[in-house]
Amino acid sequence: MSILSMCQWLQDTDIGTSIRESIWVFPIIEGTHVLALSISVGLLMVSDLRLMGYIMKRRPVSEVYEQIKPWMFAGFAIMVITGIFLFWCQAVKAYNSIFFKTKIVLLVVAAINAIVFERGIYRKVGQWDNALVPPTEARVAGWASLILWAAIITCGRTMAYTF
Amino acid sequence: MGCYHHLRPHDGLHVLGAYTLNLTPFFQWCDDTVVSQAIRNSRFAFPVIENFHLFALTVLLGSLVVLCLRQFGLIYKTQPISEVALALRPWNLWSLAVMLTSGILLFLSEAMKCYGNTSFRVKMFFLFAALLFQFTIYSRIVKKEGTSAPLGGKIAAGVALCLWFGVGLAGRAIGFLG
Repeated sequence: MSILSMCQWLQDTDIGTSIRESIWVFPIIEGTHVLALSISVGLLMVSDLRLMGYIMKRRPVSEVYEQIKPWMFAGFAIMVITGIFLFWCQAVKAYNSIFFKTKIVLLVVAAINAIVFERGIYRKVGQWDNALVPPTEARVAGWASLILWAAIITCGRTMAYTF
Repeated sequence: MGCYHHLRPHDGLHVLGAYTLNLTPFFQWCDDTVVSQAIRNSRFAFPVIENFHLFALTVLLGSLVVLCLRQFGLIYKTQPISEVALALRPWNLWSLAVMLTSGILLFLSEAMKCYGNTSFRVKMFFLFAALLFQFTIYSRIVKKEGTSAPLGGKIAAGVALCLWFGVGLAGRAIGFLG
């Protein structure tokens, strides 16, 4: 079974068809996906800006990051759930879209960036927690995260134009 | 027209009509500007502007969510609310500037489409209410708040959230519901 035929099967399921053909459900899922950007990427931006040394400089990096983290993850959970349903109902179009494929690749890269940061420089945060401007490695992680997420948003918005 | 046509409130409607502001020429003018035509004639202008509109939404609503979470006492409890508000202020204001600029450009390129669009009208209502609330009440409240927000401050945070998310939701509905 090819990936394309799996996508075809997925969007032909009852759930896929009913979301696609609904008047209200699709806009509500889509609207939630867009507005939850503010909770996921919006909160991530604040901790990235602290890592880059642009915001809340007098506060420890770990405080700015850790307190926002559960809310940020809640935001990303909403993004993933609504995103899965959006994919579910138009899987074939997504499969054929270069923007969707790019988006998935960038999501993986963003996840790798986050893991490298957590397992790397952030383990030694005790040494630079109060630094007004964090070390280069942390700043690069912050910049990479913001640029990747801007690109992910662009891909997500642009793929909808080609549908 | 039946035999009761003399009962139609014709005069009443006429009086009301005289006081209704006719905005059609204004929307038509917006639709015809050089900028509007340039955006319509370009394949990439609209999607590019819309992407910036979306980036700005993320920053604007993101900074508001952080401030409201702080007011609800859910994050950064050791940091005074006024300090959090001050730190987020430039991001909030710059994203608002990008939001309004890109929003006006998007509007110009399809002004006549927006004219008959109920969601657009709802969005404008929420937008003016949100701007008015933020710059007259909300920003003054958060400037004065210390380590914990009184009930009034928390309610103001909830109102600000509802108004701004209302703008976002109605904005998304412009394309979907008409």
